[in-house]
Amino acid sequence: MSPALLLLLLLVAYPFCMALYFSVSNAFIGRPSHFIGIRNFLNLWQSDAFRQTFQNAFVFTGAAVGAKLVLGISLAMLLDQQLWFKRLIRGAVLLPWVIPTALSTLGWWWMFNSLYSVVNWTGLTLGLMDPPGPNWLGQKYYAMTAVVVVNIWRGLPFFVITILAGLVAIPRELYEAAEADGAGAFARFWHVTLPLLKPVLAIVVLFSTIFTFSDFNIVFVLTHGGPINSTHLFATLARQVGLETGRIGEGAAISLYLSPVLMLVVFAQLRFVRKQAY
Amino acid sequence: MPAITRRRFLTSTTGAGLAGILAMRTAPARGQQREVSYLCWNNFAPLMDKKLAEIGQRFTKDTGIKLKIDHIAAAQQAAKYASEVQSQAGHDMVEMRMHFPWLYEGQLVDLGDVVAELEKKYGKVLSSAAETARVHGTWRAVPQYHAMFVATYREDLFKKAGLKVPDTWEDLYTVGKELKKMGNPVGIPISQNYDSISTAGPVLWSYGGLEVDKDGKTVRINSPQTAQMIEWYKKMFRDCMEPEVLSWDDASNNQAIQQGKAGWIHNPVSAYIVAKQMKLPTADTINHHRTPGGPAGRHETDVPRHIGIWKFSKNAEPAKEFIRYLLGKRETYDEFIMSADAFNLPVYDKLQDHPVLKTDPKYAGLRAEGVQYHCYGWPAPPSDKVQLITNSFIMPNMIAKAVTGTSTKDAITWAESEMKKVMAG
Repeated sequence: MSPALLLLLLLVAYPFCMALYFSVSNAFIGRPSHFIGIRNFLNLWQSDAFRQTFQNAFVFTGAAVGAKLVLGISLAMLLDQQLWFKRLIRGAVLLPWVIPTALSTLGWWWMFNSLYSVVNWTGLTLGLMDPPGPNWLGQKYYAMTAVVVVNIWRGLPFFVITILAGLVAIPRELYEAAEADGAGAFARFWHVTLPLLKPVLAIVVLFSTIFTFSDFNIVFVLTHGGPINSTHLFATLARQVGLETGRIGEGAAISLYLSPVLMLVVFAQLRFVRKQAY
Repeated sequence: MPAITRRRFLTSTTGAGLAGILAMRTAPARGQQREVSYLCWNNFAPLMDKKLAEIGQRFTKDTGIKLKIDHIAAAQQAAKYASEVQSQAGHDMVEMRMHFPWLYEGQLVDLGDVVAELEKKYGKVLSSAAETARVHGTWRAVPQYHAMFVATYREDLFKKAGLKVPDTWEDLYTVGKELKKMGNPVGIPISQNYDSISTAGPVLWSYGGLEVDKDGKTVRINSPQTAQMIEWYKKMFRDCMEPEVLSWDDASNNQAIQQGKAGWIHNPVSAYIVAKQMKLPTADTINHHRTPGGPAGRHETDVPRHIGIWKFSKNAEPAKEFIRYLLGKRETYDEFIMSADAFNLPVYDKLQDHPVLKTDPKYAGLRAEGVQYHCYGWPAPPSDKVQLITNSFIMPNMIAKAVTGTSTKDAITWAESEMKKVMAG
């Protein structure tokens, strides 16, 4: 057996199979467990917290990935221009992605904290907000906005750098030809840039969708899933149920709930990428 | 009989020795360094961790048993313990708060002999600690100390406005209105954290309400007493507090009083201790009083902490020896308790009037005459289901719904339905 295969089996296949088994069992930490079929998956749907989490995951992922895509393309195109200190700026863009998430989210938590919020202080000082300012982490729409904003901030560099690599690879002659044919800036973007970026965008969106659906740190540090479960994601709810309470069977079922859907997304997107390549 | 050569002697004795070790699954005692490991939380009173390390070194010196102490943040304990139990490997001893011995019942050594010795010396274990460490009649952990909640208030503001220290939760509403007018609102979190439950529990109990019955099965949240408790929260939220309490975490109420904003909070003495250690101007102005009561008495949340020994540990005896060393000698136990500056107090009956309470006049409120202490979920015995109700933050969410517009009846019906689903699951 090759070392690579052994590593893959040990680090990926074994934990995944264990999680699969837990999700169809009544596993409780340290007690014998029994196979119970898909009962965990069915029972979860009875829980208000789970249904809320399900909805949150789609809102959070949709909003964050959508914003990262638009901002990522815009910023990448900007960085593709001839700029002063281009290398420095490109390096700086990567910073949010380099800093450990838990640490940077603590900084954001401080900025949204009701007692010390620099965001509210700035807004109030500039007269943009009415006192006492938004209750960022205590009101459900604001709290969802806060976690989405931090996720965008954190994930944007991945979009920018990958899209930038795609942009650089587009032959300049195509733009020159389009310009000679009288294409304006928007037409060049729509008919040259976007079609040629599609494979890159598909891969970036694919990865980001998976990462965003399974996000944990941002919600755990900022809101713990509150207020009233309005920011819980599958990973944070799975931790709450599986680890804090010991019901790892149920916890595993929560974390694996979307796996079939995500696998379909992966399959469809990879198929799309393959089509684009040939 | 063949002659015994040096080579033959060495081969046969080594073989026999190895066979013995393999059969016994343990190394020979001679030359074997006895060693135990202890996984302990990052104490909210950091000086207690230092003292523990110091006592640990003395233990090694006195007994020859090497002690390895590791620390872990409270939030990570559950995950770490789960992995140790699943892999049947890790530390010998673990610090266990509140209900943990119930969750890991089958994985913990019976420590009844150690507890019996301690009770003989120090008196009975306090009820909240006994309820959580004695699982189905067996001591699965040894109670070591507890941190209790208490009312923490700005004495200077009370004096300035001529306010009376509240004796009941209704009294708190009266003074709370004045405090909010002064710009120093009451700070009771209503969010997905444990401090929220630590206050909601005592308020509910003092109105005579409960979440789950003593049988540990029947959900009892839908009651007129719960409605009374919610109505109290509604008026407190409206007239005495700021909406920010909906976003608070466990540290926010401490910070609110330390930074001079809140006029009254419900918390262990850590808010005062930290203010004192950091020499904050508010330290001189903070004081404590016993927790307010209600029509059904005066109840308070307690956080007892125990030490358990995993069954998979091969060093249960030396581990017990360490527990006896730390808690069984009065002078060492006193030294350990004193290091926490009244944040963690003894859990044994005869030690309740401990010298640590006399080190600062502001600890007088901690004597808390007439207060009954309980853990989350009381009077239901701790179980994974009661724990899931706690960990799912159903009670704070019920209150949060009610104070943000949902009717009291609907909020209670929602909580009842969620709790029943947990019980049925």
